[in-house]
Parts: sequence; C-alpha cells; structure tokens
Amino acid sequence: MHALIQGVILGVLTAGVFALMASGQTLIFGIMKVVNLAQGAMVILGAYLSYQLFTSFGLDPFLAIPVTTVIMFALGVAVQWLFLRPLKKDDRSELSLLITFAVALLIEGVMSITWHTTYRSINTGYANSSWSLFGYQITLVRLWAFLLSLAALGLLYLLLNHTRFGRAVRATVQNPESAKLLGIEADRVSALGFGLGAATAAAAGSVYGLLYPFNSGSHYDLISKLLSIVILGGLGSVGGAVLGAVIVSTSSAVVAATISPAWSEMTFFVILIAILLVRPQGIFGTTVRGAL
Amino acid sequence: MKWNKYSKTTWQAAVAACALALTASGCASGSDTAATGQRNGPLVIGASVSLTGDFADSGKAVQRGYQLWADSVNAKGGLLGRKVEFKIVDDLSSPTQVITNYQNLINQDHVDLVFGPFSSLLTVPASQVAKRYGYAFLEPAGGGPQVFAQHLNNLFFVQPAPSVRAGDVFAKWVLSLPADKRPRTAAYAELDDPFAGPIAESIRTAFEAAGIKTVYKQVYPAETADLSPVMSGIAAAHPDVLVSGTQNNDAYAQVKSLVQLKFSPKFVFMSNGANSPLEFPDKVGAANTSGIMSSGDWYPSSTAAGSAEFAAAYVKKYGGTAQQIDNSSAEAYACGQLLADVAKKAGKIDNATIIKSLHSGSWPTLLGDLGWNADGAPTSSFSLVQWQGGKLLPVYPAAAAQSAPVYPKPNWGG
Repeated sequence: MHALIQGVILGVLTAGVFALMASGQTLIFGIMKVVNLAQGAMVILGAYLSYQLFTSFGLDPFLAIPVTTVIMFALGVAVQWLFLRPLKKDDRSELSLLITFAVALLIEGVMSITWHTTYRSINTGYANSSWSLFGYQITLVRLWAFLLSLAALGLLYLLLNHTRFGRAVRATVQNPESAKLLGIEADRVSALGFGLGAATAAAAGSVYGLLYPFNSGSHYDLISKLLSIVILGGLGSVGGAVLGAVIVSTSSAVVAATISPAWSEMTFFVILIAILLVRPQGIFGTTVRGAL
Repeated sequence: MKWNKYSKTTWQAAVAACALALTASGCASGSDTAATGQRNGPLVIGASVSLTGDFADSGKAVQRGYQLWADSVNAKGGLLGRKVEFKIVDDLSSPTQVITNYQNLINQDHVDLVFGPFSSLLTVPASQVAKRYGYAFLEPAGGGPQVFAQHLNNLFFVQPAPSVRAGDVFAKWVLSLPADKRPRTAAYAELDDPFAGPIAESIRTAFEAAGIKTVYKQVYPAETADLSPVMSGIAAAHPDVLVSGTQNNDAYAQVKSLVQLKFSPKFVFMSNGANSPLEFPDKVGAANTSGIMSSGDWYPSSTAAGSAEFAAAYVKKYGGTAQQIDNSSAEAYACGQLLADVAKKAGKIDNATIIKSLHSGSWPTLLGDLGWNADGAPTSSFSLVQWQGGKLLPVYPAAAAQSAPVYPKPNWGG
C-alpha cells in the first residue's frame, strides 16, 4: 500500500512535465494537422541548452527557461517556415511525418556532434532534496517541475483563450477555411503555433534535464511516449494532453512500484488500446476531417 | 534456425576458402618480409578497436592503453631489442567488421601478434579468427560468459575475473564479518543487462546460501529512465543491504532516488557506475558517495606492478589527472605488460610461446597478479573498493587494501 501511494505521488508529479511536452505536440497538430515527430528531439535540445547555461554560467534551469523558450521558439518558427510551409496542403499530413522525422534526425546529429553521446544530467544543489509528508517523500525537484508545468500550461491557456492570437489559433483549429475567409493569415498562425509548440518543448526540456539523464538519442523514447499521450487524450486537445499525461505517468509509476518496471510501459499501452477501442478519437478528441 | 545454421557454415567455408586463396597468392612476397622482419624489424601488433560507433569511447580508451604501453616499452629499447609498433584499425563497433579486420591484419599485413577489441560482442568473433591462425589472443575487454564458453586455449581475458564474478569479492567480505555484524536481509535491484544483473545474482546466490534473507528483488529494463518506483519499493522493504546490478546511469539514478526517499541501507554495493572516480561523485553529489562499495581492478592509487608508472605516463601523454583514466586503458596496458613479461621469461616472443607461458603460473600486472584457466577465464578476483572521504579506496582483500572497510554505511550526505 505504501509503495502504491508513493507511486501515485511520483506519477502525478511527473505527469506535469509530460503534459507540458504533449501540449505543444497536440497544439501543432490542432493548428496544422501535422504530427510533429521532432517534438522529442526539441525537448532534448531544450534540455541540452539549459544544461549548457547551467554548466557554463551557473544559471539555474528554472531561470534558464525564459532564455531557452525564446531560442526554441525561433527555431520552431524557422522549421515551419523553411520545411513545412512549402508543402502542398493535400499531402501535408503524410509528407510532414517524413519532414519532421528528418528534422528530429538533424537535431539529433547536431546534438551528438556538439555534446557527444555521453549521458548528461543537470545536478543542481537541490537535486536530491525532498519533503516528508505522512511518511511519504515528495521530491523537491519534481514538485517544482510540476508547479512550473502547471504555470506554463496556465499561460498557454490564457494565450489561447484571451488573446487575438489565441482566437486566431482556435479558429484555425476549428475550421481553417473559414478562418482564412475571416482574414486570418494561416501561414503566420502556423509558424507562430509551431514556434509555440517548440517553446513548450524548451520549457519541458529544462525540467526533463533536472529529472532524468539524457543524451542525443533520448528523443526516441520520448516521442513514442508523447505520441501515445496525445492520441490517448485526443489529437488537438490540450486538456486531453494533460489528462493523457496523468494516465501515462501514474499507471507506469504505480505498476513499476508494485509489480515490475518491465511491465510499466506495457500496462499503459493496454490502457491506450482499451480506450481507443471505445473512443477511437481519444478521450477529448473530435473526429477531424483530413487528419491522418 | 535451420537456415541460420546452414548459412553460418557456408559462410565459414567461404571465409576459409578466401583465406586459403589469400595465403597462397600472398605467400611468396609476404613470407620474405615476415621472415626478415622477425629478426630485426619492428614487432608489429595488430588490433581492431572501436573508434566509431557504440563502443567508440571505450574503444579509444583501449587504443590509448595499447599505444601508451608501446611508447613506454620503446623508450626502454623495445621488446628483446625490437621496436614495438601497433597497427590499429577501426571496426565501427560491428561484429562483422571485426572479423574482416583480423583477417586482414593476419593475412595481408602479416602482423606478428594480435590484441583484442572492445566488448564481448566483438571479442567472440575476433578470437575465433585468431584461433584459426594460431595467434595468441590477449584481450582486455571481453569478459562475458559467451567468451569462455568457446573453450579457446589461445584466449586470455586480461582482467582479474570474468565479468559476472566482479562482485563476488563483496559477498566474500560480507560473509567474512562476524555473524552479529552481518546483514540479515537483502534487496536486489538489477539492470537487465548481461554485465549488470548477473553480478548481483552471483552475490545473491552466496548470500542466500549463508542465510541472508531476500526481502526484495526487481529486474528493470534498460529503458527505465525513472528508478524512483523501484527504490520506493526497496525503502518500504527496509533491507540491511542493497545489492545493485548496475551500469552507469541507473546507478546514479538509484542513489539519487534513495537520497530523496531518505533511506540509507547499512551496506550498499553497486556493480558499476559507483566505481568511476569522477562521474559518480559528480552525478550523485560527493557527500552522498560515502560508504558505497563497488569492485574494481585498477584505481589511481593502486600499488600493483607498474601502476604508478602507467598513471604518470598516461597523464603526461594525454593530460588530465589520474582520476580521469578509463579502466579500459589500464586493462589494455596490462596486455602489453604480460607480453613484456613473457618475452623476459622465455627469451623470445611468438604466439606459441605466449600461449604456452601464460597457461602456467601467475603474472604480475598493474591489475594485480593474473592467471588463467584452460578457457582463458582469469582466476583471481576483483578488489572491493569503497568511497571514503570523497575518495575511492580499495578496502578488501587485506593484501590490496589501503583502508579498512567502513560499515554500517554513513547516512546520506555524511
């Protein structure tokens, strides 16, 4: 029982970080109907950037987030502008898979040349601190990471629901054609949306680097997890991404703690299949025309 | 399965045929130079190491060890008056490329001797090639069970013991303690990897036979990024001793989780990761290393034969500090030491002499005194090392110890 509750605590705290990564992923899909296979690589790049800022300048990873998000936002806009914009609308969904995968490989290559393939981790002074609460341990880093992710998701929510840009994004998500007719520049919204997705990857990356060791190849594990989360939650739904992340993290932490880590991933996929059998569009998903 | 077997034999036959053709055509010109080379020219040692691919970091460490030994022996006038030269080729960490490389080294380059590559994966096919041509095969980095299962008499694994027995020294030390000081309960956290899990399993067998109760055991796959769930299971089981079959990152993650969970067992042994002098304190925090045990064959403060000379020469040639030396470099260097000893004892150096000599007696190296059984498995044991005051020190067996073992382990941060 003790192990079970400790597992739930761990799972929920970890879920915040994955929710942040997945919200960017699902946003990009919502706006552009593009499954961004480079999201994992962007998270790891964000982790490396904040690792570099920490080791070179002693900048705390949490404080590094404003810097890394700006850099990654620019990178995201550039990727959209250079590689995705030229695609014709008809085959954008299919071709974008190849292109974003190529971008992931490109980022991976650059990272292994720059930082080599040794595993890195960001070790701050508070990396091992924890609070005891009724005999359960709450890791400080995970708690901060969780709170930060909540804050970032809150900002994202405000941005999408209370700004002109957010309205344009939501309009594009709901109906790109009508949005265009109303004078929304789809290209600009797409570029900014992709940038925003990359920026959430950067913020999540800083936190990821605090929690786990990573190297340039770590994005493969991440992307499979991220895709599962967004599909479970429903492609295009930020709320779904959050719920998906909670289900993924909690189920794997609980199974790892009570049964075996070897079964933890498996359990999650069983849940995923079960939910998709009942709701093929995911928990909060709507059936999207022209989607994959 | 059947297809596999069939294709393997055809393939072997093809390789043998090629080899025959090569030796037949290359003999006339090749044997001449080889014959004269034997007397006056340099002694050429061929080795395939992984300079690129998965094993590149370790492969390069092996290369540095080989080269360093050649430099040191040449500075003293060479081996029996002959200058030692290495011909090192890259195998891309590939088990097929390594075969081609040794075929070429032996048949085209006519090297006098060969040394081994990095990893058991590459050592198995490479040692087969060496065996076929009657070459002695000193190898610093292939210690998995499959290497010795080949029963090759030309192979010598240049480390104190086969890899899966690296932790036996911990079991031996624990069981040497008076009964009231020994742990009563044990937990095992094992990475599913042929060079991690089996080390802990070997300790578990010894512990269970001695009545130390297993209260928790978990095997986790390599992709487990988060070990907190496993460690919280261990904290709940509250064992006296934690035996971890680890590589690197999982060892760091285990310690970090235990610190966060505020659970400090009385004894902690980790097969790998905890024995890296720089990475470990860097990753888990120097204060948290105190009392953690691991095993090792070489450490910067070692007083074994030639160790100080090796460390000094290494730092001079490659820079850094002795703490930064990869053990693979020391193990590679030891291959050279053995060669020099054989030459000194036998007064000549050729493959048959090396094989015959090394199969008897014990040979001093910077890894301690080494000896081998008929399959090339080394018969000594690793040293038990412990973190004390921020330093990794040998604590057992007494002969190699530079400090007494500290137990119970101090609490985290102390």
